[in-house]
Amino acid sequence: MPVKVMIPTPLRQYTGGKDSVESSGATVSEVLQNLGKQYAGITERMLDAGKIRRFVNVYVNDEDIRYLNNLDTPVKDGDEVSIIPAVAGG
Amino acid sequence: MFPGIGVEGQRRLMQSHVTLCGCGALGTVLASSLARAGVGHLRVIDRDFLEMHNLQRQVLFDENDVNEALPKAEAAARKLEAVNSSIHVEPVVTDIDHTNILDLTRDADLILDGTDNFETRYLINDVAVKTGKPWVYGGCIGSHGQVMTIIPGETPCLRCVIESSPPPGMAPTCETAGILGPTVNIIASLQAAEALKILTGQFDAINRNLIMIDIWDGTFKNLKISGLRDKVDCPTCKRRDFEWLDGKLGSHTTSLCGRNSVQIAHRTAGRLSFESLERQLASLGAVTYNRFMLKFAVEGYEFTVFPDGRAIIKGTNDINKAKTLYAQYIGH
Repeated sequence: MPVKVMIPTPLRQYTGGKDSVESSGATVSEVLQNLGKQYAGITERMLDAGKIRRFVNVYVNDEDIRYLNNLDTPVKDGDEVSIIPAVAGG
Repeated sequence: MFPGIGVEGQRRLMQSHVTLCGCGALGTVLASSLARAGVGHLRVIDRDFLEMHNLQRQVLFDENDVNEALPKAEAAARKLEAVNSSIHVEPVVTDIDHTNILDLTRDADLILDGTDNFETRYLINDVAVKTGKPWVYGGCIGSHGQVMTIIPGETPCLRCVIESSPPPGMAPTCETAGILGPTVNIIASLQAAEALKILTGQFDAINRNLIMIDIWDGTFKNLKISGLRDKVDCPTCKRRDFEWLDGKLGSHTTSLCGRNSVQIAHRTAGRLSFESLERQLASLGAVTYNRFMLKFAVEGYEFTVFPDGRAIIKGTNDINKAKTLYAQYIGH
C-alpha cells in the first residue's frame, strides 16, 4: 500500500533532492526495501546487516518504531514514515 | 511580565546557575537569551578562538573580536556583561573532556548544549544522568535542526534516542552541507525556551518530544520518544555505565566541523611557554602570539596553540596527519 516517506536533508542526494517520496509495503522493512529499489544507495545509509543503523531513527507517523515493532511495524495506507538522522552541527 | 515566568520565576532565574557547553552558533544565541532573561550565573565554556567566517551565524561576535583574535568564551563574556551587568558570567577557555566536566557542571542547575559534536554531547549526557541534572540537546545542519530536553529519571536520555554517533563519512558536516543562520537561531531559541521552563521549575510545560524542524521545507514535528525509556536497554540511564565520563570512549583528537581542521588536546603537566615556542618555530614560519594563543603557519598548515598544549591545526581533516604535524612542530 502507498506510504509517504519523509527524506531528511542528508539523504536527499539519493532522491534527486525530493523531501518526500512514495513507497509501498505492509511493514516498515518492506517500505524501506522498496525505497531502495527506486533510489539506489539510500537503503545502505539507513540499514546495516538488515538492522537500522544506530545513528538513524525511523518513525511511523510520530512514533519511534523501536517501541512499536521495529522493522516489522505494520504500516497502512496514508501512514507517514520519517527517517531521522542524528544531527551533530551547532 | 510574561505570566508563565512571573515575579517568582524571575527571582529563580536570578539565582540559577547554568553551564553552557560551547559558544559558537547555538551557544551565542543561548548565551544571549539567557543573559537577557536574567539568569544569574552563566558559565560559558568554549575551546575555540574567533575567525571571520564565524560571524555568519555566531550572533554575539563582531569584526573587532576577530581582529583581536579573542577566544569565543572571552569575547562572549564581554558582550554578555555589557548586555546585563547584574549577572555573573564566567568564561572558561578549555576543551570539555572527561577529566574536567564534573567540575565544570558541579554547581549547575542546568547544562546547555552549544556544541558541534557528539563526543561532547555523550559526555554531557553521562555527567547529566550521573548527577541528575537536566540538559537540553540542540543540533543543526543546513536548514534542518533537532531539540531534545533530557530530565534524568523522567525522560529518555540522549543515548536512548541516538544510540551512537555517525561514523566519519556517514553524515554531512557544516563544511559539506553548510548551515543557515536562521536554523541556528530557531534551534537555540527552542533550547532557550526549554531552559527557562526548567530553571523556573515548570516541569509540566517542558516539551518531552524530539522536536525536528526544517526551515526550508517548513516542517515542524514533535516526535514521541517518551516510550523509549522503557523499551531500550540504555547503557547510560538504565545500566548506569558512563563510558564517556569514565574515559572508556572518546578521544582527545577531534576533526572540527566545517573547518578543515583537527584539534589535538595534548595535556602537558605545566603551562606552555609561548616565548620558548616562538623561538623554536621562528625559523620555520611566521609566529605571532598573545596571552591566549600562539599562531604559526608552515607547509600550508596553520597552527593555533593554546597555553594548555592544545592545538588546532588548520589545513587537514586527517587526524593522523595532524598528530604527525603536532609531533613535528610542537613536540611532546
